Amino acid sequence: MTLAELVAGHRVVIAAGSGGVGKTTVAASIALWGALGGRRTVVLTIDPARRLAASLGLASLDAEPRDIPAAVFAAQGLRPRGTLAAMMLDQKGAWDALVERHAPAEARARILANPFYQHLSQTFAGSYEYVAIEQLCALAESGRWDLIVVDTPPTRHALDFLEAPRRLDDFLDRRIIRWFVRPYFSAGWSALRAVNRTAGFLLRRLEQATGLSALAEISDFFANMSGLFDNFHERIERATAILRGAETAFVVVTSPEEQVLGDAEYLSSKMAALAMPLRGVVMNRVHAEFRAAGRGRSGGDVGPEDVARVAAALDRALPGRAEEAAALARNFADYQALARGESLRIEHFAAGLPRRVPLVRVPNFPRDVHDLASLAAMHVHLFGAPAGSPGPPG
Amino acid sequence: MLDRRVHFVIGKGGVGKTTVAAALALILARRGRRTLAVETEGHGRLAAILGAGSTGPQPVAVAPGLSVAAVDGRAALEEYLELVIPVRRLLRTIFASRIYQYFVAAAPGLKELMTVGKIWYEATREEAGQRAWDAVVVDAPATGHALQVLRMPQAARDTFGAGLVQREAARIVGFLRDPRATAVHLVTLAEEMPVSEALEAHAELTGPLGLPLGWVIVNRLHRRRFSPALLEALRAAAVAAPGEERALLAAVADRAQEEEGWAAINAQHLAALRAALPAAPFVELPFLFVEEFDRAALEQLAALLEAAIAPARARARRRS
Repeated sequence: MTLAELVAGHRVVIAAGSGGVGKTTVAASIALWGALGGRRTVVLTIDPARRLAASLGLASLDAEPRDIPAAVFAAQGLRPRGTLAAMMLDQKGAWDALVERHAPAEARARILANPFYQHLSQTFAGSYEYVAIEQLCALAESGRWDLIVVDTPPTRHALDFLEAPRRLDDFLDRRIIRWFVRPYFSAGWSALRAVNRTAGFLLRRLEQATGLSALAEISDFFANMSGLFDNFHERIERATAILRGAETAFVVVTSPEEQVLGDAEYLSSKMAALAMPLRGVVMNRVHAEFRAAGRGRSGGDVGPEDVARVAAALDRALPGRAEEAAALARNFADYQALARGESLRIEHFAAGLPRRVPLVRVPNFPRDVHDLASLAAMHVHLFGAPAGSPGPPG
Repeated sequence: MLDRRVHFVIGKGGVGKTTVAAALALILARRGRRTLAVETEGHGRLAAILGAGSTGPQPVAVAPGLSVAAVDGRAALEEYLELVIPVRRLLRTIFASRIYQYFVAAAPGLKELMTVGKIWYEATREEAGQRAWDAVVVDAPATGHALQVLRMPQAARDTFGAGLVQREAARIVGFLRDPRATAVHLVTLAEEMPVSEALEAHAELTGPLGLPLGWVIVNRLHRRRFSPALLEALRAAAVAAPGEERALLAAVADRAQEEEGWAAINAQHLAALRAALPAAPFVELPFLFVEEFDRAALEQLAALLEAAIAPARARARRRS
């Protein structure tokens, strides 16, 4: 299978991976491919660079998908047969949006003003990931889109995104919540102590130790949100069903750097355990390795022992410019070393992938990708050379 | 700067925080300072680079005067509670209870608070009348989360009423804000996204957080310039070259163009960063062309860092 077939064959494509590997750019490029090929496409992006955001029509934060006007495509020489819309998640307002969408109107203001809620919404890991998944569900269920491409949040561990629904579900365990909304909680320690000595003692020590005196706030928060949580469980089940569904493909985006690749390896191995289908790998920012044609057993490697040969060829090519020739030779040898290390790591990584999972390599372009034309320039690497490629789906 | 007792190394994911933190720890240890390198995310990568098999909360010695440990908020909380509640059986009951598990998950910022609390504790801990460590180097989480960790002591001090932790939080804040005790080093690449994130972090650090900024470390700089005229001449020569050499010379030109492209991008964003932070002490580190980041690469990075901080220190001395 190729990445082109993969994208053509799925309605939801999720770009997963650790931060700083170009996930946002790859997701936008995949979405553009879908739109050029005739599909009604939306890309849900998280934190694009300002100029990329601007070229996707995302100059301001917007919770609604916005179509990129045909004129913008035309100006860059692109003629999409479908449409491309983009939307951006607001990281800070993620929980607020959830509360506004699901909480009963009369409880909203109380929840938003609750100090415990304010802390929670800023610090609870996973809430933002959950909101992204929730947004994906809304898009998938709207029926408006043939292709939904999702850029995942820059998590500490790429796995956080996949585990977010379950973690939030654990967190909002109704049995525990019921415990917290009992009346003696808001009444205070002495009331709690009278009911349950161990719990009262325990929580009092924890409070002393941590300085948290938010018990009444916690209780009040859960009392206000209890209706919302009943919904949550059902919504999380639906979200999980979409993530695991046959229409959904996870594409791991990574770079060949040691640490990043280690994370990607871990992520790929865990996806099977979570029943989230890994379907493709985009190896971004790869340095090309030069391999001479037909050099026999050495397999065309140009190693350190060839430096003299390279230097001699350069001396012949640039007569009388010895210094520059030497600098060029050194630079070439350095890039070869870099590329060789990457090749070995990629080979090792690819060997551990399930069969039939395509791995495509995107070179380390020396430029900031910030407009539709440069996103389109990635297509030759993601989906195959223009000549002889299956062409955009549609 | 090297006399500070705690060095936080922060930056966007993928900018090379961990390797810079390892190099800094190595430099400090070689200057005779008993140094603890701390990782906060449990990857085990800092430990691996420094040559330790694995890490836990207990420091592992990896070189003369250099140990490495992993700090985890949850483990630090349990350690702390053991100090406050010295009854083993009761502790076991507490740790096993769902209420406790829930409390730790729900208590806002508790794990972050305990992470920074543990770092402070190690930096100030004394053994037999002398400090356990002269320096603690922290390989911090990615910027957003790192700022949350650094924000917590202040939040705890301001939010929670008088009490044991309020007092300790105030002491931690005092320590973190003391420019003789703490330095927060900002690692970045000279590219669009990392620079804009570094500027946001800088504003937060020096503004609301009021923490002493250390170096702005611009990592992995491409520096070699190849003129368009040279590349043109090379490409022309490649076309004229005999079969076997043609592809080779074209590849040499491609790599030179790639390096030139990155050098131009780096120069542009480095200039913008320097213009935005005119008073900050900058440290520039070149891109390392290595097959893999092994011990030799770490030594190379440490040597480069040591050479780069010398002028930064001289400038800082002149100013003061």
